[in-house]
Amino acid sequence: MRGENKRSVIVGIFVFIGIAILVAGILTLGGQQKKFVKAIHLKAVFDDIGGLQTGNNIWFSGVKIGTVRKINFYGDSQVEVEMNVEESVSEFIRKNSKATISSDGLIGNKIIVIYGGSTDYPPVQEGDRLEAVMPLDTDQMMETLQVNNANLVEITADLKVLTGKLAAGEGIVGAVMTDSTLAIRFKQIVANLDRASANSNRMLAELNTFAGKLNKEGNLFNDLATDTEIADELRSTIASFKASAENTQQLTKKLEEISSKLDDPNSALGTMLNDPAFAESLKSTLQNTDSATFNLNRGLEALEYTWPFRKGFKRKAKEEEKVSGN
Amino acid sequence: MAEESEDKKPLLSKKIDKFFTGLADAWNFVRRFFQEVLLPPYEFKEVIHQCYRIGVESLPLISLTGFIVGIVFTNQSRPSLSEFGATSWLPALISIAVVRAMGPLVTALIAAGKVGSSIGAEIGSMKVTEQIDAMEVSATNPFKFLVVTRVLATTFMIPMLVMYTDFVALMGSFINVNKNELVSLSTFFVQVFDSITFLDVFSSVIKSVVFGFTIGIVGCYKGYNSSKGTEGVGRAANSAVVMSMFLIFIEELLALQIVNAIRGM
Repeated sequence: MRGENKRSVIVGIFVFIGIAILVAGILTLGGQQKKFVKAIHLKAVFDDIGGLQTGNNIWFSGVKIGTVRKINFYGDSQVEVEMNVEESVSEFIRKNSKATISSDGLIGNKIIVIYGGSTDYPPVQEGDRLEAVMPLDTDQMMETLQVNNANLVEITADLKVLTGKLAAGEGIVGAVMTDSTLAIRFKQIVANLDRASANSNRMLAELNTFAGKLNKEGNLFNDLATDTEIADELRSTIASFKASAENTQQLTKKLEEISSKLDDPNSALGTMLNDPAFAESLKSTLQNTDSATFNLNRGLEALEYTWPFRKGFKRKAKEEEKVSGN
Repeated sequence: MAEESEDKKPLLSKKIDKFFTGLADAWNFVRRFFQEVLLPPYEFKEVIHQCYRIGVESLPLISLTGFIVGIVFTNQSRPSLSEFGATSWLPALISIAVVRAMGPLVTALIAAGKVGSSIGAEIGSMKVTEQIDAMEVSATNPFKFLVVTRVLATTFMIPMLVMYTDFVALMGSFINVNKNELVSLSTFFVQVFDSITFLDVFSSVIKSVVFGFTIGIVGCYKGYNSSKGTEGVGRAANSAVVMSMFLIFIEELLALQIVNAIRGM
């Protein structure tokens, strides 16, 4: 009887532990898959869900926040996906957030990723519909790849022709590759180019040094480039130059007028400058004036010794002596 | 005389007739079980006794098997996954394999070998030694006392054993994964529960109930219908194991189709 009791207790413990494992498993599973948390329902309409299934995860900022609840056809051929999203997370998802279909890893299950949304918009509420963004379609990728493949085939075909010509020594490159003298000359050209390149490098270095010197503070060019006051002064100087140039132009104009008048034989100066008869007459007049002056000087010297002017001249000579004596 | 010879004449062929007769007998046996299980008196003590024998006494063997299965399956899966750098998927792979299929299947097969054969042999020997007839004479319902109790015990205990097997197999897998991939216990179980669903758990439980019922009913049927002395007892034990295992695989196949159909809804 006691043995039977013992057996009953052991069987009870056995069953209890078995059920406990089951219940713990169910609770852990439910907790992890958010089955027992309060959830709100959000919707998104996609053109193509790419194999998304009920129960697939929903991620927001890389965190699992719910699961796909239901998948229904919508409209003509679109698909409406209903999502269970944790109520506690809903305050972070804004009404302008977007939903797209992605995958958990490279070859993982399909997931819905909610992203975006700005704080200008209020948080989502029960039954809200999020804007669906279509994911990158693998079929389209394959189509593009197919075009690339076709291009690649054409390119390789062209390359084949090209390499054939090269091997046959056609064209410049082919000739260089096959003709030894051309190759040597080509090498020389390359060597020259190399030297030129070295020279240009050196020149660039010198230019760099020169530019560095120009860029030093206190240098005129640097001041011109950087000092705003000098620039203003230069502007005003240039304006002054401009005004001077205008004045000079006017002066030149007037000088030209004077010159033209001087050239005019009707004017007095023109006659003086240009008329040879007048010049001859003026010459003889000056000669006459010269001889008249000579005669006048002689007359005046004679006058010095003549009464009543003699006394006056003597007094003047005495004053001059006094001044030179002092 | 002519009527007798007509009775002995097979309907289709001897073997085919025997097969269908056996099928009809099995059907009647199952039907009788469902009739007897609902009617009093209820043999609770015997049920608990059988639960002890089938459940508790099988636990060490089942646990060891489950533990080894967990380790071996993890080790065997690693090279394939590591080929494309996906050893981090080991917990998910093992959990799906253990919970969906290996836990119930391994437990049921071990139980079919250990429990099914013992039920077949035990009832078979009682049958050939006419103990069952003696019970009938002493106003004890042998079907209720021997068959119903054992079938109920296997039906209840196999799901319990499956829970243990699942847990122990996952722990075995964890030890292996922890040693090689340095995954912590919490991370391991997060990945385990992330990859399985309620459908997996419930289908596993329902499947193990069906497996338990199959082991019990087949063992009892084979033992109850054994004949030809000790040879018959051996044959009953043997055929109980073979038939149980065969039916378990058939049921596993059907369950897989049904669960996949539900999953696709």
